[in-house]
Amino acid sequence: MTITGHLPRRSVAEPSALTQGVRGGLSVVLAYVPFGTALGAALAHTGVSALTAWSSSPLLFGGAAQLVAVQLLAAGAPAGVVVAAAMVVNARLLLYSASLAPHARGWPRRWRWLGAYLLVDPVYALAVGRFSRSDDDGDPARRLRFYLGAGATMWVGWLAITGLGVLVGGLLPAALPLQLAAPLTFLVLLLPMLTGRAAAAAAVVGGLVALAASGLPLGLGLLCGAAAGVGAGVLAGGRDA
Amino acid sequence: MRELAILVVIGLGTYLMRASFLVTAGTDPPRALARVLPHLGPAVLAALVVPSLAAPRGHVSVAETVPSLVAALACWLLWRRTARLPLALFGGLGVWWLCLGAVSVVGGGAP
Repeated sequence: MTITGHLPRRSVAEPSALTQGVRGGLSVVLAYVPFGTALGAALAHTGVSALTAWSSSPLLFGGAAQLVAVQLLAAGAPAGVVVAAAMVVNARLLLYSASLAPHARGWPRRWRWLGAYLLVDPVYALAVGRFSRSDDDGDPARRLRFYLGAGATMWVGWLAITGLGVLVGGLLPAALPLQLAAPLTFLVLLLPMLTGRAAAAAAVVGGLVALAASGLPLGLGLLCGAAAGVGAGVLAGGRDA
Repeated sequence: MRELAILVVIGLGTYLMRASFLVTAGTDPPRALARVLPHLGPAVLAALVVPSLAAPRGHVSVAETVPSLVAALACWLLWRRTARLPLALFGGLGVWWLCLGAVSVVGGGAP
């Protein structure tokens, strides 16, 4: 036995950045179980083959767009409408990409390409929350390990949960419906974004217009709501400026 | 095969949006886009949330809409109080089930 002296307490007590990322990701995966299961069950009953519908998990890696795309496909919408609706739903990822970029400047380019694939609402929220903390030392390698830990955990978890939903979603008891899991999940993603008048205006107008237009076919209500909400946000933001 | 091809196109387009600024880290978005970007998240998510809360199972009615609004309120309160995502989501879902059960009892078992 050799005596190595005192180890720095921080290195013993504090888990690595990768472990912290994985833990953050696991917490989100747990929270996403109802939504992922409900989505998987919905994917299995759309008329599109179950395997094709589930392949939206690795291809799109974003529940809201997956739901919209597969529902529109099942409704027989033209390809252009399906692509346009899903891209509008995912357009917020542009914002996440622009917002995360300053934190990723020290990452090797190939890891930024990989990191982009893992960029989705909860991973973005975990990463920016962690990188903005006062005790974050700004070390690019540690930040990258945290991001990859959270993103990879979310990716594996999401594919597993939606796969499980496809396989066993139909067996869930009717007394425990899951239709509200998706809107509640989106609500929890929406709330932290309401940071001022402009964001509130975008959300209120976007939500009400989408509700008023919800009778329109082929996801057009969503597109109308999103466009009106963005317009209201720009107007309110211009007045605030 | 058509469905898979459409999903691949969406996946590629989505990946390009994800990679846009992250890969070129250092370039700022054009001014016109920078004005719109902050409002995309709230507008799109609210456009998804509000109709789904008003009609969680496809139609608006007191028996359907009130329980989902109560559940949304519970979810919001839990999230604000605890900032714990699993607690807020499972709690909101639990409140929805309780409200649906109560509505069913009051309405004599009618869904």
